[in-house]
Amino acid sequence: MHQQPLVRLTDIVKSYPLGSVHVRALTGVSIDVGRGDFLALAGPSGSGKTTLLNLIGCIDKPDSGRIVIDGVDATPIPLHRLAATRRDRLGFIFQTFNLIPVLTAYENVEYPLLLQHVPARQRHERVHYWLNQVGISDQALQRPDQLSGGQRQRVAIARAMAGEPKLVLADEPTANLDSVTAARILDLLEQLNADTRCTFIFATHDPALMARARRCLTMHDGAMVVEPRLEARAS
Amino acid sequence: MLTKLALRNVFRNRRRSAITLLVIVFGAVGLILFGGYKAITFRGLRESTIRNRLGHLQIYKRGFALAEAKKPLEYGLDDFTPLRRAIESDKRVRMTTAQITLMGLVSNGDKSETFLATGVEPKEDRSMNAQKLVAGTDLPDGEPDAIIVGRGLAASMHAKPGDYLTLMSTTTSGSLNAIDVRVAGIFMSGVKEYDDRAIKMPLAGAQQLLQTAKVERLLVLLHDTDDTAAVRADLTVLFQRKHWALEMKDWSQLATFYHQVVLLYNGIFGFIGMVVFGIVIFSVANTIVMSIFERTREIGTMMAIGTTRSSVWRLFLLEGLFIGLLGGMAGLLAGAGASSVINHVHLMLPPPPGYTQGYPLRVMLQPGVLVTAFLIAVITATLSSILPALKASRLKIVDALGHI
Repeated sequence: MHQQPLVRLTDIVKSYPLGSVHVRALTGVSIDVGRGDFLALAGPSGSGKTTLLNLIGCIDKPDSGRIVIDGVDATPIPLHRLAATRRDRLGFIFQTFNLIPVLTAYENVEYPLLLQHVPARQRHERVHYWLNQVGISDQALQRPDQLSGGQRQRVAIARAMAGEPKLVLADEPTANLDSVTAARILDLLEQLNADTRCTFIFATHDPALMARARRCLTMHDGAMVVEPRLEARAS
Repeated sequence: MLTKLALRNVFRNRRRSAITLLVIVFGAVGLILFGGYKAITFRGLRESTIRNRLGHLQIYKRGFALAEAKKPLEYGLDDFTPLRRAIESDKRVRMTTAQITLMGLVSNGDKSETFLATGVEPKEDRSMNAQKLVAGTDLPDGEPDAIIVGRGLAASMHAKPGDYLTLMSTTTSGSLNAIDVRVAGIFMSGVKEYDDRAIKMPLAGAQQLLQTAKVERLLVLLHDTDDTAAVRADLTVLFQRKHWALEMKDWSQLATFYHQVVLLYNGIFGFIGMVVFGIVIFSVANTIVMSIFERTREIGTMMAIGTTRSSVWRLFLLEGLFIGLLGGMAGLLAGAGASSVINHVHLMLPPPPGYTQGYPLRVMLQPGVLVTAFLIAVITATLSSILPALKASRLKIVDALGHI
């Protein structure tokens, strides 16, 4: 039996007002993203990668078209009513890490679990598990300003994964990191994808990340220009 | 988690929070000090009005208040001894004293002035400390023709202790009568207009001048002002039972000046409260708005990972509440400290309008005032966060995440 894709975008159009004109950010994009995919959205700045990621992440609405996430048609639902969908099905990793500065690494990872009302004991175990998985358990009690960029992104990854999402959306996750740290973060993300079968979608300029993606979609002027399927790495 | 987040965010920008808290503290201290000053002024004025002048209750012959008397003491009390005995048997009653008020002319042989005299029982009057003597002695016992004169009137009549004056007034039968009196002392009450016309004389002397054995009223002084209503109710029952045709007024019905002061001070207190309310509203709202502006991206992140609008709203409301709680508590401590300092340094205030004497600035810490100041701090701080919090919760996630 054919498995339903985790994400199905059909003929998505999105434009933004810019002064007196409307800029068309997406011009009828249709894609399917399967479960367990490790997908890169490539393309120059302004090509519509982040806009597409925002729409998949249910934090923005298209002008037209249809978005189905894990079988739920998100198109007619107002954004503020999609909070539960974002909380339970999605994880977010941002270019600038976007940790909550007044919370420790532990508390940042714990935050989505509190939103999900996970019982205390289970919450504690899961936070420790994910801090350990991303190799940051020694810094659990540090606040974000006491951590390096790489460490912060690891905490952000642990936060995104702790809620056990079906899909993690990462917007330029390595852009603010040096090449060595970026490579380690990519190793980690790849490992997590392999271990959890969680789907990852990245918006990226980073050739290293594109090279590691099993699938890479290139965008230009709000449209998909090519969809080269990259071979899965031997490992 | 929201509580933890809100608390930590309050201390996030310490300098800004400190300034906001200081504004609240100053507001609360202002309210506490003025409220405490108001409370002690009200109590002092009330007690001095009662104990020096009016008594807690005044008893008259029925009809006194409404009927227009054709002659002096037409509605006077004839034999008040049984009445006095009955009232003084109540343990809540400190004492009773009879009085007569009369008007007439006072002359020193060269000039005459109108006077307003009060006939009092010297011993009871002395215990009421109604006036401050500036020369001579107070009214002596057993000397019906001794008087004490208000400072202004004494100056006008060029009278000094030991001098003799003549008092002339209309008797209860409508004829004129005059008596010679000796100036025993000169007093001041603090109210210039009163001191320019006032005479105090023994009840016996006043009765002699008016040619009557009646008194105008019987003042009842209690140990505790709070018992006034209960004693009044009991006396009403007593009068009915004894079939005494009497009527009564309590101090509150007679203390016009006290009520004017209460109205004035309450108006000022309300105005200060409004000013503090406004300052705290703008200060806290500014803090929350600045905080939201600085944390826009963070709010976007929180909403992106599943925080609901209502949680964001509650988070900022909690921050306002915590600022109010902290400011209110600090304000209470600072207010108590400032009150203590003021009460120890014995500052003197200038005389109020119509008075000739200044009085010490004192502040009474009252639970009601403290609670009011605290609640104003907390409620205004919380209220002022409502709109900014609503604005934060309505942020578009995409715009918030792109905020720099």
